[in-house]
Order: sequence, then structure tokens, then C-alpha cells
Amino acid sequence: MNIDDVTTAARNGLIPAYLYNDAEVFEIEKDRVFSRSWMFIAHESEIPDPNDYVVRNIVDDSLLVTRDSGGEIHVMFNMCVHRGMQVCRAERGTATTFRCPYHAWTYKNDGTLAGLPFHLDAYGGEDGFVKDGQALLAAPAVAIRNGLIFASLDPDAVDFDSWLGDFGFYLDFYTKQSPAGMEFRGPQRWRADTNWKIGAENFIGDSYHTPHTHASVVEIKLFGEPKPNKRKEGVLWHAGPGGGTTYKLPDGSGFRSGLGYVGYPDEMIDKMADVWTPEQQALAGEAGFMPSAATLFPNLSFVHNWPQVDDSGQITPFISLRLWQPVGPGETEILSWFVVAADAPEAYKEASYKAYMLCFGSSGMFEQDDVENWVSITTTAKGSMARRLLLNNRMGLTHDGDPIVSQYEGFTGPGTAYQGYGEHNQRHWFSMWSDLVEQPAPELAPIAFGVPQES
Amino acid sequence: MSAPAAIPLPYSDERHQRASQFLVEEAHLLDTSQFEAWLGLLDASIHYQMPVRVTAVKATEESTVQTMDHFAEDWYSLRKRVERFQTAHAWTEDPQSRLRHHVSNVRTFADDDSDQLIVESAVLLYRSRGDRNAPSMLSAGRRDTLLPTAAGLRLARRIIEIDESVLRTQNLAIFL
Repeated sequence: MNIDDVTTAARNGLIPAYLYNDAEVFEIEKDRVFSRSWMFIAHESEIPDPNDYVVRNIVDDSLLVTRDSGGEIHVMFNMCVHRGMQVCRAERGTATTFRCPYHAWTYKNDGTLAGLPFHLDAYGGEDGFVKDGQALLAAPAVAIRNGLIFASLDPDAVDFDSWLGDFGFYLDFYTKQSPAGMEFRGPQRWRADTNWKIGAENFIGDSYHTPHTHASVVEIKLFGEPKPNKRKEGVLWHAGPGGGTTYKLPDGSGFRSGLGYVGYPDEMIDKMADVWTPEQQALAGEAGFMPSAATLFPNLSFVHNWPQVDDSGQITPFISLRLWQPVGPGETEILSWFVVAADAPEAYKEASYKAYMLCFGSSGMFEQDDVENWVSITTTAKGSMARRLLLNNRMGLTHDGDPIVSQYEGFTGPGTAYQGYGEHNQRHWFSMWSDLVEQPAPELAPIAFGVPQES
Repeated sequence: MSAPAAIPLPYSDERHQRASQFLVEEAHLLDTSQFEAWLGLLDASIHYQMPVRVTAVKATEESTVQTMDHFAEDWYSLRKRVERFQTAHAWTEDPQSRLRHHVSNVRTFADDDSDQLIVESAVLLYRSRGDRNAPSMLSAGRRDTLLPTAAGLRLARRIIEIDESVLRTQNLAIFL
């Protein structure tokens, strides 16, 4: 495999089918994509109190995400610097220290090495092992936005805010709905025999699959919206390192009635009006578009939908964030959170949770059919004929490479927007992927512990 | 749910026998996709819940998450799930999985204050799809509340304690 041939094809909207299940490609992705991208690992509300922690992965790296006794957040490599054991083997909890079960080396929850048994007898004290100032290996770069904690394994990672760019405008629709911030519940975690890229690409812009893949949820009247004609009125936008889909609201909706149309009660609309800029409010209020699915490169996706949650016909929206955590070329762990404004009325939280459970997550009726498709793609992508097949990712372009419709002028958000069906966003995603896999992995110097630091 | 008596009913007790048979018949309906008939075994007040489990430090933390579930169902949502399976477009179960619910470890408790039964059981669901991927299994404990009615027992409440923190099945297009 020549990776430059792969990216040339991908940039041209032709995807070598085997990219969805190939060990060599997966190794390249580990070295070149996940080792230097900004990766979502947790939300602050998952560790609300001092000394709370969760353990999360970036592919094979186990990371301890803590809030120390002073409230500060730390992200550390969950590996004892002595013999390499995980210092924390639970997945969440509350602890002021982490003691390695192997030799009892003990770390404070800010990572500082606090206890080293027989330091004097075994090492001759500081003369043999420099304990002072040692700590668990910190994640090279950490950034927090709207309470979302991101980490990069690349010490030279580009500044988070610069990287996020105009995607931040859209991020707020999902993760900033109240001055009180958001509450993340979960995640539900499950594994599926699917390549991680497929979910990311689906959520970034595939409004084309909705009417057919999800036909059943319309038939049972769970959801009125994903009808082919309705779906193609939506705008596909991409901005910065991500993109997403929208639904067109009824003409002349305005901000408040647009949000009301998808089921937000007045109390929630008041909160959103408090935290969204006039430009953000104009997306629904003037342009008339309601954000639906989105992906932030590489593997964090968002969904916002509004099913009917009971027999009375009540429509209630929900938000979910999901991480397509790569396990192997043909296997992904899906982590799916329910997200709601922390100070939302209890009745709204309950209805929104129900809306989420009906639609997405491990048992969600949308998600069930999505994952079935993705498992099927991944299984088939292993074949030798898949090594020849170039999948067509050119929807919305003529053979000459011109868009079949011009950019949508009435869209008020930043970035690039097209109305109707198209694979503009999937190509955008693949162009970001190509930019990374074309570059050799960062070369990082080893870090030795306990030995005097070279000056 | 009232706390169960410490000692389960003896196997010879007719109430235990009825409860055991209920669970076996229910498993048969689920294995053979008789979902309408399965709904018929549920009381309209049904609360059907499967909390998310996590890996937690022994003795100091709960391994069951209180705020997130894999299922948190009522009569409306279970009926919608069944209705969906009956459409021609529920792709995830067409072709269908081959399912076998293995039910065991049934312990029946009489409720002191009412004639309802509290029934604990283990269920192992074997699920095989297609001809390429490995089959998946889900192991769980269940704690049910069964109400005696003129038409037989009805399930009013089920709490499912799933034995995994990360489910090894592609979705929960199944019932436990």
C-alpha cells in the first residue's frame, strides 16, 4: 500500500474500500492520526467533585482523568513509572491517592509521586532514585471547552482554540445550552465489529441515509422528520475540523418558535437565549436551520433529534455525544453520553432522557440500524476485491469537480454550506484524515524517571 | 418494590413453579419472535430497566450507575420497539439473529404485604447473526415483580443487572 495513492484517491472523492478494515492502515492511523489529534476524553460533569476520577482511553493509552482536591483537572498516563502497572484499575470513583498494587508506589490525584516504599533502603534515597517532583506522565496537551476535556498525545499539538476554529460556533448548540453548563450521563459502552471511521463519516454529513436506513422509526410514528423531501431541505455545513447536518424549520419560525417546534419548553429556550450569541440564535431564528448530527475530527460525534416520547404526541429533543473509540481495524468501542442542561427542569430532563433512550445509544432504535450497516461494511471491506474497489464519495460534485448546487447563501453560520444531499462533509473529513496520514508520526524523545535530569 | 423475604419459596411451592414456568414461557416467546404475545405478558405499568454497570473499586463504590441505563422502558417505549420489529425496515433484525434465552437460578420470594411475587433469575442470551462474525452473549441477573391476575402472571417490573461494563454485542435489538 502506498499511502499517497490512498490520499490522492480519497481527496478526489474515491475511497479505497479496504480502508474500512485493514491492519496496515490502522497502524498508520494510530501513529499519525490518534497520536497527534485533539481527542475528547471526558466531560467535567463526570467528575463534578474534588477527588473524583474517570479512566478513559485514547486507543491503547489508558488515561486517568482526575479532579484534584483543589478542583483542578489532570489527565495522566495510567501507568506506574516504576514497573508499568495501571495505578487505577477502576473506571470511575473518588480517591485522593492511587496506590499501585504491585509495589505500593503511591500517587496523589494530581499525579505527584507521594509514596515510594523503602526509598532509602532500596535506592539509597535521592542518590539512587530522584523521587522529588516526580509524577505520573501527564498528557502532553490538555484543553477544556464548554466542560469538554480534550487531550492530545502530541506535545507540539496546535493550540486547541486555533484548531477548533469555527467549529466552536456549532459546538455550543450541543454543549452550551445554559449558563449552568451541561450534565453528561453515562457513557453507555459497547463494542461493534465496525471500523471507527464509518460512524464519524456518517454523522458529519450523511443526511442521505436517514430516509431509508431509518424508515422504520417514521413508520411507527416515533419521529415525523426523516422523510426524503424534508431531509434534503436541510443544509450540510462544515467549518474548521468538523461539520454537520441540519433540518429546515418551517418558514418564518423565528428563534423561540423554532426551538419550540422541536420541543424545547420556554424555560430551556430562555437559557439558550442567555448563552448563545445573536449570530448563533440567527441560525435557527433567521436562516431557519436546526442542527442535527455532527462530527468533530477525528472521532467525536454529536446528535440532536426530537422524537415523540409518549402517546400524547409530546415531542422532546435530546442531545447525545458519542465517541468512536478504535479498538482494531474492524472493531470499535462506542461510548455514548446523554447530555442535558445541568439546571434543566426535572420534567424536561426525564422526557429528554426518554427521547435519547428511544433513539440512540446501545438500545436506540436509530442506532440499531446504523450499526448493522457499519458492521456489514466492515466485514465486506476485508475482501481482496475491496482492495480494488474505490467507493464513490463524490455526491454533490460534477465529474469536473464543480458543486452541482452553489453554496447556500441564506445560511448564517460560519464555514461552507450546501443545501440538499451531498458528500461535501465526508470529503472534508477525508481531507483532514489525508493531511495527517501523509505526515510521518511525531518523533518524541523517551522520558526516563528517577534519574537526574540532563540540564 | 418491597424487600424480599430472606428465604426463597421452596421449589415445591406452587407459586415458585408458576413463576418459573412464566419465565420459561416468556423466553420461548422471545426466542421465537412472538413479540406481540410477549407484550401480552406485561402489565401496563411495566418498568423495564437495565442500568449501566461500571468497574468500581470493591466495597467503596457502586458498580451500577444510577443515572444511565441501557434500557429504561415503559409501556409506550416497549410497544414502539415491538412495532418497529414488525415493520419491513428494521434492518438490524432482518435477517434475524438466532436467539436462545437460557433462564436459570430462579428464586421466588413471596411478598408479605401483597400477593405479588418477587422473582430473581439468571439469563444467558446467545445471539448469532449472519455467517461471518462471532456470536455474542449477554449474561445478566434479573429481578422481577410478577402480579397474579385472572389471566395468569403479569410482569410489572424488571431490573436487569447486566454482567458487563462494555457490552460485546452490536446493539440491544433484543429483550432480556
